[in-house]
Amino acid sequence: RMNRKKGDKGFESPRPTTHQVVCINNINFQRKSVVGYVELTIFPTVANLNRIKLSSKQCRIYRVRVNDLEAAFIYNDPTLEVCHHESKQRNLNYFSNAYAAAVSAVDPDAGNGELCIKVPSELWKHVDEMKVLKVHINFSLDQPKGGLHFVVPSMEGSMAERGAHVFSCGYQNSTRFWFPCVDSYSELCTWKLEYTVDAAMVAVSNGDLVETVYTHDMRKKTFHYMLTIPTAASNISLAIGPFEILVDPYMHEVTHFCLPQLLPLLKHTTSYLHEVFEFYEEILTCRYPYSCFKTVFIDEAYVEVAAYASMSIFSTNLLHSAMIIDETPLTRRCLAQALAQQFFGCFISRMSWSDEWVLKGISGYIYGLWMKKTFGVNEYRHWIKQELDQIVAYELKTGGVLLHPIFGGGKEKDNPASHLHFSIKHPHTLSWEYYTMFQCKAHLVMRLIENRISMEFMLQVFNKLLSLASTASSQKFQSHMWSQMLVSTSGFLKSISNVSGKDIQPLIKQWVDQSGVVKFYGSFAFNRKRNVLELEIKQDYTSPGTQKYVGPLKVTVQELDGSFNHTLQIEENSLKHDIPCHSKSRRNKKKKIPLMNGEEVEMELSAMDADSPLLWIRIDPDMSVLRKVEFEQSDFMWQYQLRYERDVVAQEAAILALEKFPTPASRLALTDILEQEQCFYRVRMLACFCLAKIANSMVSTWTGPPAMKSLFTRMFCCKTCPNIVKTNNFMNFQSYFLQKTMPVAMALLRDVHNLCPKEVLMFILDLIKYNDNRKNKFSDNYYRAELIDALANSVTPAVSVNNEVRTLDNLNPDVRLILEEITRFLNMEKLLPSYRHTITVSCLKAIRVLQKNGHVPSDPALFKSYAEYGHFIDVRIAALEAVVDYTK
Amino acid sequence: LARRRRLQVVVSSLLTEAGFESAEKAAVETLTEMLQSYISEIGRSAKSYCEHTARTQPTLSDIVVTLVEMGFNVETLPVYAKRSQRMVITAPPVTNQPVTPKALTAGQNKPHPSHIPGHFPEFPDPHTYIKTPTYREPVSDYQVLREKAASQRRDVERALTRFMAKTGETQSLFKDDVSTFPLIAARPFTVPYLTALLPSELEMQQMEETDSSEQDDQTDTENLPLHMSTDDSGPEKENASVLQQNTSLAGSRNGEENVIDNPYLRPVKKPKIRRKK
Repeated sequence: RMNRKKGDKGFESPRPTTHQVVCINNINFQRKSVVGYVELTIFPTVANLNRIKLSSKQCRIYRVRVNDLEAAFIYNDPTLEVCHHESKQRNLNYFSNAYAAAVSAVDPDAGNGELCIKVPSELWKHVDEMKVLKVHINFSLDQPKGGLHFVVPSMEGSMAERGAHVFSCGYQNSTRFWFPCVDSYSELCTWKLEYTVDAAMVAVSNGDLVETVYTHDMRKKTFHYMLTIPTAASNISLAIGPFEILVDPYMHEVTHFCLPQLLPLLKHTTSYLHEVFEFYEEILTCRYPYSCFKTVFIDEAYVEVAAYASMSIFSTNLLHSAMIIDETPLTRRCLAQALAQQFFGCFISRMSWSDEWVLKGISGYIYGLWMKKTFGVNEYRHWIKQELDQIVAYELKTGGVLLHPIFGGGKEKDNPASHLHFSIKHPHTLSWEYYTMFQCKAHLVMRLIENRISMEFMLQVFNKLLSLASTASSQKFQSHMWSQMLVSTSGFLKSISNVSGKDIQPLIKQWVDQSGVVKFYGSFAFNRKRNVLELEIKQDYTSPGTQKYVGPLKVTVQELDGSFNHTLQIEENSLKHDIPCHSKSRRNKKKKIPLMNGEEVEMELSAMDADSPLLWIRIDPDMSVLRKVEFEQSDFMWQYQLRYERDVVAQEAAILALEKFPTPASRLALTDILEQEQCFYRVRMLACFCLAKIANSMVSTWTGPPAMKSLFTRMFCCKTCPNIVKTNNFMNFQSYFLQKTMPVAMALLRDVHNLCPKEVLMFILDLIKYNDNRKNKFSDNYYRAELIDALANSVTPAVSVNNEVRTLDNLNPDVRLILEEITRFLNMEKLLPSYRHTITVSCLKAIRVLQKNGHVPSDPALFKSYAEYGHFIDVRIAALEAVVDYTK
Repeated sequence: LARRRRLQVVVSSLLTEAGFESAEKAAVETLTEMLQSYISEIGRSAKSYCEHTARTQPTLSDIVVTLVEMGFNVETLPVYAKRSQRMVITAPPVTNQPVTPKALTAGQNKPHPSHIPGHFPEFPDPHTYIKTPTYREPVSDYQVLREKAASQRRDVERALTRFMAKTGETQSLFKDDVSTFPLIAARPFTVPYLTALLPSELEMQQMEETDSSEQDDQTDTENLPLHMSTDDSGPEKENASVLQQNTSLAGSRNGEENVIDNPYLRPVKKPKIRRKK
């Protein structure tokens, strides 16, 4: 039947699959090989379908049968040799084009594939009658380079005892790396999956585990899975290993798997997951779509989080015990991300690559809602600002990120991504960084849509998408209905306009159909006569990665009489905007000032400009434009903004701005923020670093002890002996983070000779010396690691007399002390390793700093040994970064 | 003993007075016993009377009342005392008390304060009760303790790591010197994530000490793996007999009812004999 809606896709699959069987009979860990077969049930939709193209990479195909008849086939993967013996044009541009062409030639979204099967002529008549075809393919896989990853520790014992495991992985649709299939997110079918594995192993895959049966020799068992919800091949996954099994105590349909010995960590780590489930089900007013959910934690993960139909594969390094503070929020975020993608990404798939942004956007957006609920509005806004800064920085540096590319007839002129060295036509030609930024932008744009149509409507739209999909998913063998489970840009937008009745076309045009961000420059003058604020807002829309913004822009002005919102219309030629002020400038020393949130705060006003009633001004305070704002206001206004504005984003902006105003007033404002316990801890952490910078700029006029020292002493040292830090107690996380950060920032202080003051160095060494964690409920590994970072921060370039060779004899005495600590820490790590080897990582970084500053001979041998396979991943990365640093 | 011998003499003289020429030893003993308890009773009773009237030293009247109480006719006493044929017993020879070697006296024993009668025992030697306070302020005490703990730990760590470095392979930051800052050589692990993720035994111990409330959870966790192991033990025993299979089947079926129905906890099925094609 041809009645499938064409939608955005504009392409009809000639080989819709309704059901696929994957059977892996044998997995050999020693040889890293896999043997199995697949069987696809295909309903031909066009007459004279005599060739069937399927996706398959790196599989060796032994035999293909169609309806039990032997079929001829050709296997050709053009990406294996992108430039055919081309020797003349050895440049990136040529490669990029050739690569895009190769990927395009086998693009499963366009009905192509690496494997071309000739339908036996006996069946042609059968095909013309649109009758079912069953394609049976025997294949094997040897030492796969991608798609399936084997982890086989080299030690004694059986594979299970060694903790050997294998799992599927990859970027975007890469299931074809481990079995032949239609590797497209838009082609759904039901699945039967069978894996025969060693009796001591467990095979975890998608859908319901129907039964587990021993083989006749009782040495192996076969796991039978059924996935009745139509699912794209790209969302099929597998993990096999000697896993420990944990049934979630709150939700018995949820099962967690981890590698041997890690069960206690698994239990703690996943103990929170049910709350995430509850949250999503509640806001989406929709049950979790699959009948079960599995989490598998494996080593050497390709990405930290990978979501597949009814299961997620996580890095084992996310596991942690109850003693670890810093990893806990990170891991929870990963769990929440994975779960969001179960709804949007796995259950609801995409129509085509250009609709990817909708799925990434929605899953990122609901994940953001979870963040807001779990970590609070401050953390949420901080995160949004962070993501915004990231995308802005990336687009300004590299060029625009286009969410919804529409591809014309392949004319190079129309290429929307001409600024990039790769094609954005296919997920597989993208750079990883671009794709990361793409996801970031997608969820930010979803938030913009929310701003426009309200959260209620937004959630209604999601609910509608989900309920349509779940109705469709329960239809059996009617593959044309299953397209309801695919989301497209147009379908999504239609749903929005149906639900909200609002036209968001301009917003979509601005942020989705075109790339680039907005760069505002703002400055102002106060006209006393007219009592008007003359605001000038300029835009830079000529630099790469920028675009011109036309439309409303919110400006918030905090005056003496209160906070006022103004919406300016940004138009082509208007730069200046007059904003009438509500309050007259008055001369009171102190006054109660009403803030935006209705709070009234008494402020000391003597720092103000006597003629102006303006306390501070904020442009686009809600971040409802993807923009960068450079705004000029005087130092006292930034100080007021830091002290009294309640929005953490504004506070952070003020801190960054104050770096340019090294005055005693800035110092005071920052110190006050540091001491304020109600203040968001990230703001206070940021204030530490700003204070260090200001102190350095003010070094000749600075009075009193080094910045932050007395504050640290007051907060964390014993009352009676101020040089000794209290025994660790990290129950209060805010002060924990501050305690970690302050020494790191203090170590950046410099005296008039541009050296770290001796007092500061001794202070940090004392913190290390007196550090006592015996009574603490939490591990202090991150704290100690940051103390080492602080030591590294205190290092300044060595004074070198005519390039002498660095030896022990001319070692600076301070450096000797630092080195003493690093040596001890690094050696202790061998005996009592810290969680994630954070201390080793910090030590390696510190050693590189010492080398770079000429205190220690620059020799990469140490880092090379730590970069070897077999060290913990964080250690290897730190070592590799140090090695790479030699090239800089 | 000396007292008793005197009492024996008294009893014997009274017997002589009464006209006996000889007496059996046992009879004398009995009489002595009776006399002793009689005198003791007078003393005890007199003491009670005296204390009853809030005095410490018995007076004559106490004795008199005692004797009356004991049924003795006091008036006969003077007459009896002045009888003519009474015998006078010589005073016992004063025997030198064996000088107990004086315990090492340290310092002067404190004299009794006025309210304590002189007959009470002397105060013990001062060294047995005098305490000498050591003068150290608690403040610096803490500081010193911390200082001590810190430097002790540092010394132990340094010594241990140096020892490890000396006995094993090392790396060095300086080409010309391997001993000043010896770094224990980096050695790759076969399973790197285990050491990186699992808390050390020391930390585990600490965790138990600092938080006992979580121990309840701990026991919870034990249940699950246990449950699991009954499932897993089946396949591991390759020659598992049918009987064993059945028991494990029954066992976990019970478990299912009580605890959780999860496909991964279900028992592994035996292969079908005939395969359908």
